[in-house]
Amino acid sequence: MKKRSAFRRYWPLYVMLVIPLVHFLLFKYGPMFGAILAFRNYKPGMTFGAEWRGFRYFEIFLKDAQYWRAFRNTIVLSLLNLVINFPGPIIFAILLNELRFKRFKKLVQTISYMPRFMATVVVISIMATMLMPHSGVVNKLMGTNIDYIGNPGYFKWIYVFTDMWQYTGFTAIIYLAAITGINTDLYEAAKIDGANRFKQMLHVTVPGILPTMMVMLILNIGQLLRLGFEKVLLLYRPSNSSASDILDTFTYRLAFEAGSTNYSLAAAAGLFTAVISTVLVISANAVSRKATGESIY
Amino acid sequence: MVDKSMGSRIFNIFLYLFMAVIIVIFVFPFFYMFSLSTSGMKAIMNNRVTFFPVDFNIDAYLRIFEYPGFFQAYRNTIIYTTLGTFFSLIMMMLFAYPLSKSFLKGRGVILKLVIFSMFFSGGLIPNYLLIRNIGFANKIWAILIPFAINQFNLIIMVNFMRSIPEDIEEAAMIDGLGYFRILGWIVVPLSKPAIATIGLYTAVFFWNDWFNAMLYLNTEQRPVMMILRNIVVNAANAGEAQGYGERGIAEMASKSAVILVSVIPIIVLYPFLQRFFVKGLTVGSIKG
Repeated sequence: MKKRSAFRRYWPLYVMLVIPLVHFLLFKYGPMFGAILAFRNYKPGMTFGAEWRGFRYFEIFLKDAQYWRAFRNTIVLSLLNLVINFPGPIIFAILLNELRFKRFKKLVQTISYMPRFMATVVVISIMATMLMPHSGVVNKLMGTNIDYIGNPGYFKWIYVFTDMWQYTGFTAIIYLAAITGINTDLYEAAKIDGANRFKQMLHVTVPGILPTMMVMLILNIGQLLRLGFEKVLLLYRPSNSSASDILDTFTYRLAFEAGSTNYSLAAAAGLFTAVISTVLVISANAVSRKATGESIY
Repeated sequence: MVDKSMGSRIFNIFLYLFMAVIIVIFVFPFFYMFSLSTSGMKAIMNNRVTFFPVDFNIDAYLRIFEYPGFFQAYRNTIIYTTLGTFFSLIMMMLFAYPLSKSFLKGRGVILKLVIFSMFFSGGLIPNYLLIRNIGFANKIWAILIPFAINQFNLIIMVNFMRSIPEDIEEAAMIDGLGYFRILGWIVVPLSKPAIATIGLYTAVFFWNDWFNAMLYLNTEQRPVMMILRNIVVNAANAGEAQGYGERGIAEMASKSAVILVSVIPIIVLYPFLQRFFVKGLTVGSIKG
């Protein structure tokens, strides 16, 4: 009796839910069921494939040397990115916090957040122009004639540097918020104890944001397989493929590059990456919750 | 309060110098595009442009009018961004509001489904085949509809709506308002900061997209970012073939103009929206 009256009272809320819920299930869970294609062979017009093929497609790509090259490239690129772009925003936030001239601080913040809203393709096209052989500003200043983008040796640095340019300022917001939460008495006490500004940063600010740093680090580790696919796809050239072919672009090429279009094989490679990635994220999150009592989800 | 020791002063000098360098690093790429786009064709070809415009002119911006498909693409981008953001916000409101009611049965299950879908997705290919097989290929629905619900933004919205005091809604209910009217007349106006934040993220997503347009749309339907993508990819192909030909260099001015014009709306609107997203980000840090 009580249940019925609850429904009678709240039915408009359920009505509200219907359309978004159907949309959500169709476009987020539909593809998950569609991933069954990895075990079935693809026929045009059939989302779920025609007949069962078991793990055949997995065997094909796991034997492919190019897959393992992509796997290695993904890990190398991710780790380099982590080592450089994890501490970057922390240092930036701490230094921003030291700016006493408020309007200047505001100006630096405003400018540094903006690249986050620029399209990756904009960043890459500007970058490519600056790095053009011969006439690009970088080559001109150095007096060199290097094709940076076409060279596999430079690829990972271009990736890491553009990430730094695009996201350092924005990620720093999280650390700045953590710094704001530090009790100002701690700084006063440190000053009385004779700590100079550098020592205050080291012994008050850094410990104050340590929990935030831990959470961010663990979450970054969870995201190891998730690189900026769009960016790598834009930077990808046959000439730099030995460094720039990552798991996502490997999958993309299996499906869409002329001559292959093997959807089942590509779905299998994509599913394999997605499963490893999910395990990584969930375990990283669990570690974060255990170690620091905090997690994003 | 102010520390006036020698060390602190030296530190300050370096700090402000460092920040000045940072500002230059952030601003210079755009300024470089400006310089290239306003320099004379000959100056660019003779490789005389380093930092500042040489033989200043605005011909490149006038030539944009002749750039193949540029206006069509710009119009497409504006349409996708407006309609896409509008549809997305409506879906998010309708989804988030019931989910913000802790007494609602089934809410927990749905939230768990939302969170799981943030960890795991079917991947590019199943997504692609789904969108094609429901008949969205070469239709603008392929861009506007499938990406309307973003789970991160949804969680931000749910958390924000949960922070709205119950009493306000109870009072409205006593006045005889139903849930739909409460949502439209009370909750939505009170959620303005969250809506602004999410709207900004969503609009930026639509404005910046080329990948989905490339997968699902035909040439006339493509957005302006697709032109930029073609510039990047074609320059690469030309570069591989003949080491960046003279023609490529001559087109530098108009390409730079295209790049700048494609980001102008973001640069212009950004300072006004900035205060919202900083607020929104702190809202989002509340656990879901």
